[in-house]
Amino acid sequence: MAKLTIPAQELLRSGHSACPGCAPALAMRLMLKGLGPRTIVSIPACCWTVIDTPYPTTALGVAMLDNPIESTGASISGLRAAADALGIPDVTILGFAGDGGTADIGLQALSGMLERRTNAIYAMYDNEAYMNTGVQRSGATPLGAWTTTTPVGEGSHGKAEPKKDVMGIVLAHHPVYAATVNPSFPEDFVKKVEKARDLSGPRFFHIFAPCPPGWRYPSDQSIEIGKRATDCGVFPLYEVMDGHYHITRKGGALKPVREYFQAQGRFSHLGDADLDRVQAQVTADWNRLVRLESET
Amino acid sequence: MAAVIEIRFHGRGGQGAVVASELLAQAAFLDGKWPQSFPFFGVERRGAPVTAYTRIDTHPLGVRTSITTPDVVVVLEPSLLRTQPVTDGLRDGGLLLVNSSHPAEELVLPAGGRRAAVDANRIAVTHGLGSLTMPIVNTAMLGALAAVTDVVSMEALDRAIQEFVPARRPENQAAASDGYHDVRVVGGTLPFTPSVPRAAAATLPLPEGPMASESSERYHTADWRTLRPVIHLEKCTRCNFCWKFCPDDAFSFDAEGYPVLRTDYCKGCGICAVECPPRAIEMVEEA
Ligand SMILES: Cc1ncc(C[n+]2csc(CCOP(=O)(O)OP(=O)(O)O)c2C)c(N)n1
Ligand code: SF4
Ligand code: SF4
Ligand SMILES: [Mg+2]
Repeated sequence: MAKLTIPAQELLRSGHSACPGCAPALAMRLMLKGLGPRTIVSIPACCWTVIDTPYPTTALGVAMLDNPIESTGASISGLRAAADALGIPDVTILGFAGDGGTADIGLQALSGMLERRTNAIYAMYDNEAYMNTGVQRSGATPLGAWTTTTPVGEGSHGKAEPKKDVMGIVLAHHPVYAATVNPSFPEDFVKKVEKARDLSGPRFFHIFAPCPPGWRYPSDQSIEIGKRATDCGVFPLYEVMDGHYHITRKGGALKPVREYFQAQGRFSHLGDADLDRVQAQVTADWNRLVRLESET
Repeated sequence: MAAVIEIRFHGRGGQGAVVASELLAQAAFLDGKWPQSFPFFGVERRGAPVTAYTRIDTHPLGVRTSITTPDVVVVLEPSLLRTQPVTDGLRDGGLLLVNSSHPAEELVLPAGGRRAAVDANRIAVTHGLGSLTMPIVNTAMLGALAAVTDVVSMEALDRAIQEFVPARRPENQAAASDGYHDVRVVGGTLPFTPSVPRAAAATLPLPEGPMASESSERYHTADWRTLRPVIHLEKCTRCNFCWKFCPDDAFSFDAEGYPVLRTDYCKGCGICAVECPPRAIEMVEEA
């Protein structure tokens, strides 16, 4: 047998209730492979609370706290304070929240946790909409995407506003470590998680998390779509440690964004002019990232 | 005595169980009754088991809780009889109505009781409702329900379909009518006023330990799938990609390092078949 390239230990149990092909489910599996069993996870209202807890069971092989959607950041500050008070230093505290619960509803709690320098990891799994309640747009929904609240038809052409730069907001708080990860690249994902696990102070992950029903593509395409997102520059893989940028995957020239957009029903209404504008923006963002890497 | 009747629907995400419970309530309202309907607040993923409730009274309803001791259980998908405790709490003298191509006599009820069966898949397919793999059977089942109970009249059901079903109204009306005529019942139909007086609702003990401490592996999510991976080991290079990318952790390895499917848990997403470099995995239709 070929050597395993990621840890064998499974802390995500089968029998959970994610949709077939759910990348957020795979993201948790990889996250816990990197963090190991001495972890407490705090999860707000989002698909992941439902995935984890068909009552009276849990799909997590670690302790889990279920918290209100706006309070993931506050809850992990509290968990760390409790662990400190009880004298349990060797535990990793993880907040695992959706994009709606992070970029919109829980933004101030995230900011508070980063500003307090809480010794914990906050991970946002970004499926780019409020999926658990049936695909409503969030601040993290990209420009042009169809959702049930940004429909396609007369007077509406998908989401009219660009995606919120959550990494930018987090980096403005100067965390100890922040990185983007994508379950289509499991080795890069787990390596970054292991690195973060061994640091102390506020840490952040932005997880790319394709969702077959919400993005309208067949369930077997989740990994392919993730690969395209990174290889065309829509979701570059990088990390920032002590203010230094490092791009962890550079595959030569970027692929055209069309290959990523055309694989998903939520973008099927976009025409050539739309995609040309997106291409220009993605190329500019990528060049900026390359510049940041060389300057920091 | 209270003349409330409680109906619990069991189906799969995509089959229309929640709509069935709502449509029944609409029809009961047109009959001059006091209905309510709501789904179990749980997972409504495509293929996953779904539960919904309808409660109908001749007087305004005060109760708002989910239904644990139904008078009637309606099962939209026969495989749920094997995997879900659908008859839990069914009252003595209650009725089990199942979408099944088998005769009602073959339905097993723990305490005997009334059983009814109708081949709603065939009816739905005849009228072009849903697809062959996922027929939408809710209106055929409601027609059958109107025949074997007196909770709702066929006239009211027909009107409710005309007023509230968003698409394919004539086909749904025809399906309800076929369900009404085709259903077969054993043990007699169910009168509206239950013969058994209401017992006080059982109180659930509060958990003493953590809320959820059992493993989710007790749920065999295999019954969500319509496609199943078949691994052609002669082509396999033991690269582990199928294991690495599976969101359901549905692969293990044999002693020689070949992948083994944990068939109880695979939901049939097909990621492994796409990611396997030598294309050693094929997705085949679930038997
Ligand atoms: C204060 C509050 N508002 C709304 C909700 C309802 N709600 C539950 S899950 C959810 C969606 C969350 O979206 P996101 O954080 O992106 O996670 P996803 O479901 O997409 O995984 C919402 C709006 C809630 N639980 N609490
Ligand atoms: S809706 Fe999307 S994110 Fe939620 S469980 Fe299904 S695939 Fe996963
Ligand atoms: S992905 Fe294909 S080749 Fe690799 S271990 Fe699985 S079945 Fe074998
Ligand atoms: Mg989301």
